[in-house]
Amino acid sequence: MPLDQTATILADVAGMLRSVLGDFGDDAEITMDTTFRDDLGMESIDVVSLAGRLQARYGTAVNFALFVSGLDVESVGELRVGQLVDYIADSLAKVPATS
Amino acid sequence: MSMVRANGIALHVEEVPPIGAHRGTVVLIHGMTSDSMASWFLTLAHPLSEAGMRVLLYDLRGHGRSARPESGYRLADFVDDLEALLAHWGTDGPVYLFGNSFGGTVAFAYAARHPAAVAGIATIESAPPTGEWFARMARRLARAAETLADADAVAASRPLVARRMRAASDLLAQTSIGEELPASDLPDPAALATIDCPVLCLYGGESAVKELATATERLLPQSKHVVVPGQKHTLLIKAPDQVRAEVLPWLATHVH
Repeated sequence: MPLDQTATILADVAGMLRSVLGDFGDDAEITMDTTFRDDLGMESIDVVSLAGRLQARYGTAVNFALFVSGLDVESVGELRVGQLVDYIADSLAKVPATS
Repeated sequence: MSMVRANGIALHVEEVPPIGAHRGTVVLIHGMTSDSMASWFLTLAHPLSEAGMRVLLYDLRGHGRSARPESGYRLADFVDDLEALLAHWGTDGPVYLFGNSFGGTVAFAYAARHPAAVAGIATIESAPPTGEWFARMARRLARAAETLADADAVAASRPLVARRMRAASDLLAQTSIGEELPASDLPDPAALATIDCPVLCLYGGESAVKELATATERLLPQSKHVVVPGQKHTLLIKAPDQVRAEVLPWLATHVH
């Protein structure tokens, strides 16, 4: 996928993560290699709470419930931000562009 | 994250739309203290949406990312929250209620209030709001408060367990749930007996909660009870495959 698309999605996701993290998010460096739990201190409920933000941004094109389906409350924290960014990019590539 | 103001309190809700034709609506209700909607979201949200269900999830008051008032933790407060959320979501027709542990108790209590509004109830490691079940919950809450002092010792070796203990300890320390919930007024058994929708109850074979199955069968003769061998109270998060293998076919026989 094009690098600029990855960068755009990463910036979107980083914005969502900062708002989930609240005051703690301002200083956090968020890259493709950042992990939800060890680097950002997110609990499973914080990761799940991305669902509404992703829906608001991408609509039904990105099926977040499918992405995390089958992970348990521990392994969801081991996810890297890059895995979510790649999943979003793949999902968007499957639907025709509307804008 | 989506926050909704319902019953005078800010509650964290999420929604997963049905894939394909809309065949029904299900609300997933999590358990007490260290639980949140995450345990349902990771295990059943997607499989249920694939089955054509509109999937609605929320964090109970005091839990997850919902607001945590100092007081207001009687059973009726939790049922009022669910009632207000269903009004907010605007569901058309009876809904399925799935509840993990205390979440199942909220489901039964809601159904006792509005029997015609519930299409079916599936619970994991749970029971209707009876005196016996609430006595067990009271002991569990008291024990949780006692073990909080050990959280630091656990933190070094098992950080994830410590995190869950801390979530529980904050709730118990910051609110009156430990006193209020066990002292709740319980529904009249006659009202519970008016629940006539299909009921599926799952238990872990190594959990003491299954001892309540006989009383639930007596109260709700239509209920079906399944014991998953080798599992404890953490059945949903430890054995999601077995939970799905029971719940999804059961749902398919009732959804039209």
